[in-house]
Amino acid sequence: MTTDTQERPATRNEGPDHGIDDLPPGRRAMPAGRVLVVLLLGILLWGLLYAPELRRSSEAQPDGIRRTVSLAILRPVVWVEDRLGFTGLIDNASSALGRHPNEAVGGGADVDPLPSVPPPSHPNGHPQRDTKLREPTTAKPLRVVVVGDSLAQGIGSFAERVFKPSLVDVIKQGRISTGLARPDYFNWPAQMRLIVDRSRPDLTIVMLGENDAQSLVTPEGQPVAQVGTGDFPPAYEQRVRSFARLATSEGGHVIWVGLPNPRDTRRWQFIERQNGAFQAVADQLPNVAFFDTWNTFAAPGGGYTAYYHDGKQLTLVRADDGVHFNADGYTILMRLVARFATQQFQLDPRTYEG
Amino acid sequence: MLFPTTDFAIFFCLVFLGHWWLNHNPRVWKPFMIAASYVFYGWWNWRYVFLLAAVSVITQVSAVAVDRQRQPKRRTLALALGVAATIAPLLYFKYYGFFTVNVTNAATTFGLHVAPPLIQVVLPVGVSFYTFMAIAYVVDIYRGDFEIASWVDLFLYLSFFPHLVAGPIVRPNELIPQLVVRRDPRHIDVAGAMWLILGGLFKKVVIANYLAGAIVDPVFGDPARHSSPEAIIGIVAYAVQIYCDFSGYTDIAIGVAKLLGFRFPQNFDRPYSARSIQEFWRRWHMTLSRWLRDYLYIPLGGSRKGTARTYVNLMITMLLGGLWHGAAWHFVVWGGLHGAYLAVGHWKDGKREAGQLAEPPDTTLVHWMQRLATFTLVCIAWTLFRADSVATALALLARTVTAWGLPSPLVTTPVLLAISAGLVTQFLPHRPAERLKVALSRLRPVPLGITVAVVLFLISTLGPRGVAPFIYFQF
Repeated sequence: MTTDTQERPATRNEGPDHGIDDLPPGRRAMPAGRVLVVLLLGILLWGLLYAPELRRSSEAQPDGIRRTVSLAILRPVVWVEDRLGFTGLIDNASSALGRHPNEAVGGGADVDPLPSVPPPSHPNGHPQRDTKLREPTTAKPLRVVVVGDSLAQGIGSFAERVFKPSLVDVIKQGRISTGLARPDYFNWPAQMRLIVDRSRPDLTIVMLGENDAQSLVTPEGQPVAQVGTGDFPPAYEQRVRSFARLATSEGGHVIWVGLPNPRDTRRWQFIERQNGAFQAVADQLPNVAFFDTWNTFAAPGGGYTAYYHDGKQLTLVRADDGVHFNADGYTILMRLVARFATQQFQLDPRTYEG
Repeated sequence: MLFPTTDFAIFFCLVFLGHWWLNHNPRVWKPFMIAASYVFYGWWNWRYVFLLAAVSVITQVSAVAVDRQRQPKRRTLALALGVAATIAPLLYFKYYGFFTVNVTNAATTFGLHVAPPLIQVVLPVGVSFYTFMAIAYVVDIYRGDFEIASWVDLFLYLSFFPHLVAGPIVRPNELIPQLVVRRDPRHIDVAGAMWLILGGLFKKVVIANYLAGAIVDPVFGDPARHSSPEAIIGIVAYAVQIYCDFSGYTDIAIGVAKLLGFRFPQNFDRPYSARSIQEFWRRWHMTLSRWLRDYLYIPLGGSRKGTARTYVNLMITMLLGGLWHGAAWHFVVWGGLHGAYLAVGHWKDGKREAGQLAEPPDTTLVHWMQRLATFTLVCIAWTLFRADSVATALALLARTVTAWGLPSPLVTTPVLLAISAGLVTQFLPHRPAERLKVALSRLRPVPLGITVAVVLFLISTLGPRGVAPFIYFQF
């Protein structure tokens, strides 16, 4: 803070002590019309140079007028640039600057590299179907992978804090704006296959579905089931089942963390159906358990509340957007999930705090 | 609307066109600029434009009520009521959840049952900034430093989009007089403006966003998983991140205002080159520092009421400054720590003036040691500011000394380069930058437009994907 020895201005409705037009010596000014040319030219040329990346981020947007308009403008631009060979040049320039044009979306620095773990030897050639997680040691810590969307990014960060580093390796794989509906944007089954093959997680914590209120498509973008039609629920549940099967295919365990109720009650019916699908799959498959986030964080009357009372203390747990959690909320959720893993799969309670 | 987005680029081109087209006719220009600013603000949530309008109405009604009172006691009472009315929306939106949780838990500790309504109050962006500008206006009217502005000018003063969401906190006498005069469309400092906008984007998109993902977020997320070098570099990286993030935003805001022919006050002046905490606060978030000085510290008595009272006033000012940043205890402790730093600095100054403490030698080496000590103290305080709780901050500070010998994979060459780039800007001489600005100003529109496009492409490509909000938006 500055001291009160400095004088505060004592002018009455006077402007600053120098005019707004004064320029440092040597610097030239420009009239507004020319400045507009600079602005338009700068933005248009940048748009052309950056069109491939803009198209990729537009494709990541949920269906809607914004996405449609953006792609209607950008696709022809990129098509022309492709034909002229500009896209290759721009992508090469991007690569030289450290950006890999085809790197997986929704990730970035929040996604951990996958550790490589040699395959275990299964008796009779098949993975065991026990319901108990192995005892971790400091020499062989438990591998816990957190997969999913932005909610999973949140619990992933706080899983690192809740699980003890000496006994648990947390591998964060949360990717914002992803889900099971749009494998053309991000292919979660393919990524889960890679995670299982390379890192063989003991426990996979899944939190997915927040971005899935859109029509289901194939990895090539072909329509499968329109959201809001009777085809959607069974097709969606099938995707959940396939994903859970993949995650447990090498004997790992899965806790599917259900979606919390959002502040926007118009979304409740859809999310309750999604939670129903997650629950149904957990009931059907071995080594898969469903954690009910909705009822855990709902108000006593069943409505939305941003606060959580554990019987002793009141805590504000939800973020301002009414969807995500804040730091306290993610910590509480992660502790509850860890305790749930102890109930379901005998996770050693020494592996986590609280 | 965020500055580094295509939405804003399109919005600004349209506003720029309308602004200079209508500039000659204030009766049309002012409503146009108010409408544009409200569109900018309503882009997040259209409901908040009613809050902005309500705060503007409360401010003007309060100021008129203060101005009409001639009797000093009644004038002071009107001021108190006016400031209370102006600040009430901020108190509700920013602190309701904080007080609900703390009052309920404190009551439970003492065996009492308190059940306030558990409402989630969403903090509208920018409310802390425009509320402070509103208070400055009412207090300046009370002091006789400023005359009542017209309703239209007051609405535009509070909503003017370049400063709306994260400052700078512009005083009434810095902006309202500029709204009254016509701007000259023939003389726009395009080179100065572009330098600020592109430099601000570079600091935000390339340096701040990169450091956040590469080291700051992981280290502050879970200190227990990181080595001492990672903890130290993570804390220093946050110091660079918050500087590049906030000063980057301010540079863009000042540059955007410049393109519209307006001057905003400087908000940062190489803060990490400061040789004392007092100097740091003269260089960091300067418009907040002077607001706290003029509208809180001086009214509390400043340094005019004795040594003990000066320390108390410094502590109150900095504790409230901390709470202004966020409704959480770690912000309060951050403010308290800076209050303590300032009190110690004040005590040392007093001792030196009384000849009881020797002046440090005036050598370059001593200057650099002072800079290093100041930067270290600032970084310790930043740890409290960035961590999600006091406990996490203390755990991270402890980690800086207890985890040597562990691998440090997050301390990479790009991280060290980004930190160095952020710190080097504090010490670069002004002249080469000014020469570049002169060279830019001599370019014709087409080469300048191409230069802008290429620099924008480099910034977009060098920065991480996605649009990260500015840190100060949450305040």
